[in-house]
Amino acid sequence: MSYSDKVIDHYNNPRNVGSLDKSSTDVGTGLVGAPECGDVMKLQIKVNRETNVIEEAKFKTFGCGSAIASSSLATEWVKGKTVDEALSIKNMDIVKELSLPPVKIHCSVLAEDAIRAAIGDWKKKQEVAKPVVAEAK
Amino acid sequence: MTKAFTEIGAKPLPQETNSCWSCGSMRAAHFCEACGKVQPPAPVDYFSFFGLPAKLTIDVPALEKEFYHLSRKLHPDLSARAGSQEQQWSLEQSSLLNDAYRTLRDPIKRTQYLLRLEGVELEEQSKSATEQARATGGVKKQIVPPDLLEEVFELNMQLEELKMNKQTEEDDAALTAEIARHKVALEEKYESLLQELQSYWKQWDALMERNPRAESAERKQITGKMVDVLNRRNYIRNLVRDVNTALEC
Repeated sequence: MSYSDKVIDHYNNPRNVGSLDKSSTDVGTGLVGAPECGDVMKLQIKVNRETNVIEEAKFKTFGCGSAIASSSLATEWVKGKTVDEALSIKNMDIVKELSLPPVKIHCSVLAEDAIRAAIGDWKKKQEVAKPVVAEAK
Repeated sequence: MTKAFTEIGAKPLPQETNSCWSCGSMRAAHFCEACGKVQPPAPVDYFSFFGLPAKLTIDVPALEKEFYHLSRKLHPDLSARAGSQEQQWSLEQSSLLNDAYRTLRDPIKRTQYLLRLEGVELEEQSKSATEQARATGGVKKQIVPPDLLEEVFELNMQLEELKMNKQTEEDDAALTAEIARHKVALEEKYESLLQELQSYWKQWDALMERNPRAESAERKQITGKMVDVLNRRNYIRNLVRDVNTALEC
């Protein structure tokens, strides 16, 4: 099996590798795993408080080339999107963009899981940050 | 492997195939006890191929003995001067024998094979968790405990640091020692996962002894636990492999 050019490009020049401050209330962190192959992926987003737009995204993935490419692409795609827009990214979009073969589809699922996990973490922080408003309702 | 597996649902062989095609005596499954001729391969799973019940605790030395015994009887060289049909059967039987033996002698492959026979897809749990998260817009429930994921991630970070140190020829003795300590702990965990798996084998075997046609809910209760162990094991397996590579080079 050979990797597509896009996978190789992301693998050789991964975009947005790194980390954001996990403890910041603007940052959501998703740590997910693919039990099929033992890969782990961490994806972090920094969200603008006013607009809900994802301003920054970072990832770190330990796994195969397709997992790295999927998460690299995911960070590119979520940047500039609102949280709700980012939630609509589906793994099949990633599969198409990277021409992933069927055996590597779970890598794209992992990236989708990671986006959702990061957003979920961020949302949880927002609820905790405004407990008074929630009670007033 | 797929061959025997896809044929599992097949109907039992017609009555007449219980006798040898060549001499008409009652035959053993693979070759005729009376005249020794190889028989057409029966559509059976690997357990049945060796005449075993679908249980997971296996006497491996006995399996090996049976494998060598059958290998000698079924070897294609024996039918080198026979008709082409017989040669073909011999070839098919031998290849089935090899696949069955390789699968059953290995504790993990054996478990995975049984799970497949039971219709359990190893990826199923993970897939349905993703679908549920999609449907609810929530976060996917991870299949393995979150602290295991944390541990895997952190250790991978350390391994990467070690690799970079080596490139710059900066020797970090403290880091190397810490990773070496992790290695011991990981190998212990790897071993204990096998023991955990074996405890579920016992539950499975007990169920099969009590009621081989047990309801699917009862079967799933045990096979689900085996899937859990195998999932966690994948992560530990990768870590042990990566730690060893990092410490070696």
